[in-house]
Amino acid sequence: MLTRRKFVQLTGVAGGGLVIGIGLLESCEQQKKPPKNPLPNTQNGFGDNNGSAIGEYLQIRPDGQVFINIVKHEMGQGIASGLMAIVAEELDADWDRVHVVYSDPIPGLANWAGGSTSTLNEWGIMRSAGALARKLLIQAAAKGWAVDKEDCFTDNNHVHLKDSENKVEYGELVDKIVFDPSESEVTELKDKKQFKLVGKVFSNKIIPDIVLGKHPYALDIRLPEMKYAAIERAPVFGGRLVDFEATEALQLPGVEQVVPIKGFVLDGSSHIRDGVAVIANSTWTAFQARKKLKITWEAGEKSNIVHERFLEEAHQRLREEDGYVAYSKGDVDTYPDAEKTISHTYEFPYQHHACMEPLNATAIFMEDRCEVWTGTQAANYMLGNIEKHLGVPKENIKLHCHPSGGGFGLRYWASHGMEALLVSKAAGGQLVKMVYSREDDIQFDFLNPLEINTHTMGFKEGDPVTWQLKGALDNWGGLCAWMIYDVPNVHAELIGLKGFTQMSAWRSVMANAEGFSTECFIDEVAVELGEDPLEFRLGLLPEGTEVQLNHKYPCKIDRIRKALKTVAQKGNWGRPMEEGSGQGIAVYPYMHGNGYAAAIAEVSIESGQVKVDKIFVAIECGLVINPDFVKKQMEGGVIWALSALFYGGTEYDKGKVTRSNFHDNKVLRIHETPEIEVYVCESDEEQPWGVGEIAPPVTYPAVCNAIFAATGKRIRKLPISTV
Amino acid sequence: MKVNINGQDYEQELDPDMPVLWVLRDVLGLTATKYGCGIGQCGACTVLVDGQAMRSCTTKVRFVEDKQVQTIEGVSREFLHPVQKAWIDEQVPQCGYCQSGQIMSAIALLNENPEPTDGEIKSFMSGNICRCGTYPRIIKAIRKAAQND
Repeated sequence: MLTRRKFVQLTGVAGGGLVIGIGLLESCEQQKKPPKNPLPNTQNGFGDNNGSAIGEYLQIRPDGQVFINIVKHEMGQGIASGLMAIVAEELDADWDRVHVVYSDPIPGLANWAGGSTSTLNEWGIMRSAGALARKLLIQAAAKGWAVDKEDCFTDNNHVHLKDSENKVEYGELVDKIVFDPSESEVTELKDKKQFKLVGKVFSNKIIPDIVLGKHPYALDIRLPEMKYAAIERAPVFGGRLVDFEATEALQLPGVEQVVPIKGFVLDGSSHIRDGVAVIANSTWTAFQARKKLKITWEAGEKSNIVHERFLEEAHQRLREEDGYVAYSKGDVDTYPDAEKTISHTYEFPYQHHACMEPLNATAIFMEDRCEVWTGTQAANYMLGNIEKHLGVPKENIKLHCHPSGGGFGLRYWASHGMEALLVSKAAGGQLVKMVYSREDDIQFDFLNPLEINTHTMGFKEGDPVTWQLKGALDNWGGLCAWMIYDVPNVHAELIGLKGFTQMSAWRSVMANAEGFSTECFIDEVAVELGEDPLEFRLGLLPEGTEVQLNHKYPCKIDRIRKALKTVAQKGNWGRPMEEGSGQGIAVYPYMHGNGYAAAIAEVSIESGQVKVDKIFVAIECGLVINPDFVKKQMEGGVIWALSALFYGGTEYDKGKVTRSNFHDNKVLRIHETPEIEVYVCESDEEQPWGVGEIAPPVTYPAVCNAIFAATGKRIRKLPISTV
Repeated sequence: MKVNINGQDYEQELDPDMPVLWVLRDVLGLTATKYGCGIGQCGACTVLVDGQAMRSCTTKVRFVEDKQVQTIEGVSREFLHPVQKAWIDEQVPQCGYCQSGQIMSAIALLNENPEPTDGEIKSFMSGNICRCGTYPRIIKAIRKAAQND
């Protein structure tokens, strides 16, 4: 039976007073019926243009609804609601009346989303946008009341007159706002002690859309005259289309055209392959028709790469060659006579993205202009590539940015938008929705680079005096070399490898491999010296110090210590574990976003199978916009890393990826997921730092160190199969 | 062919071998059911056929000709389904792409087992992949929906 209290609680969440009233009436009459939950409001997705636009970010409509342009790509990290809350805070807006607009690219605004930098980059400007709007609303209200603006204040979507009952809703002021650009400077921002929304748990705006099936992914777009396209691509990177025969494919009912696509390299991370595109009246028909194409490919030189030989060579070069110096402090060569050295090598494999929404774009090419609908982490970069390679000036390109079903770094690149345009161009300007099958997604992925790291530490009188990292990295990005431990002479070198395809950004980028190698290594050193892994780390992280890591921000060691000590306490470090079980600890900074994490893993081993029982994770990410959003990113980051730990890597044969779908490119499933406890540290920082990529780098080593504690066996190569 | 989706009959010329997923998405414009793998491995396309969870990407449309198909668009007309409500309360989704399928699977689970244990939840939901890592919250939301149902 439903109690009165419970019922109010249930309806009060989403409803106003009237809803609660109706609900109560019903609950008295029909107490055994389940509660009827009112439908939530959904986001409009794309805003229209009446109302008062204040700058590029914000629009307040006559009904008081506030629309906020989100220039960062929403791909599940919660950025839309996080940024909207920052504006709403300074605006004193009613959170229930705030809505997201997924912004098309605005020239001059850096709207790429990555490196865990979206919140920290937008924090200042979003606050200013909200504060400016609030100032203009106060001015308009003061003028209407013929009072000094100092006598007005704002609260919950209203301007109030001090010491009176007078108040006016924001919507009623929008046609009275006078915007003098000379007054656009914002001087008054709130003190963080005044925050009512920022720092609190509030709901994510896009979730009602998602649970109702109304979230506007690019893959769901439907336009008049639109056809569906699928591309059969060259199986090997650099391979060429020699010839194709499409008679059988064209005989399938619903198939309209078959056109060739000529590929090219876009940048250091991405390319478009030669291909043959089928255009049909449904995605399924296009997929079926692809199987009937007869294509001759020239495989190209990448087909000669044999993985075992490639790896062997990489290890040899790592041992023998000097690399590019990525980081150096002191002089490691001043200690040629270290009395003891410890050295180990770690291998982090290729990784697939496997975003749940496969890459796709809808596009129409009209010679001097074009239009694209897609999800992209870097809209302006896509515009630039279209201009450069397809010759359409930026001002004639209309790019509609949709939220995505996962990005994880793959949606940085411009190839999916451009492939759709190339198909449209080849098909005489036909509007097409180009869709990657899951097999395409796996086989033509721009992978996480394989990275091999050798760490070497030298000791004198028992203390570490030198620490060297040498990394071999497959064709994208540089070493992080975030070597935070207080060793006087530190040196990192990088050797570049050329693998079988192009590599790109993958959630947490090189911090995955280097968090894994660094934190497994330091654990090995602690154990070899007979020290406790937590105390050993803390001893090399002196209080009150900062480390410069050739990065924009110094690494504040007190923030690192806070994450480490929090997780040690919450995770009960050093508690007695049963036979066959173990605890492992790790800490790592993520300097691109300047957020730091520490983790403790508990594992148990049964018949050689590793079971991760529990993960504790603590994060120090500066000023927190919403602790629940941070927790979700940490939960997701841990699970992301566990997929890579157990199922990562890839295989290829004559240059062609042999994995093809979720049966052979496995990812973690719900029954394999451990309990995860997240602790968000209180921080003295004045601004928010990164969150999205902070958890994976500490998850791998925490688990591997726990496996050592349980079995005495060190894991130096991923993925883990049996131990 | 005649198909019944969310209580509504659709009369349409269809290839009887076309999977229900693509009939929904590309022919009828019901795009809330998602394409994830095409081989029944990820569960993003889950719909209910006569109340049972089915992977619409591997179910040919001729198989559902005389059956009732329910998609997430048909779950809540006037009011939120308790599972959707629990999904909002527990703030489950991140990117959301797999969640139509997760919710349909959860509804099917609770239809056949209104008070599942955690083990039963994990076992039933193990066919639905999420790349963002929302699994801990899916478990919480199903527990909550079971309590409130």
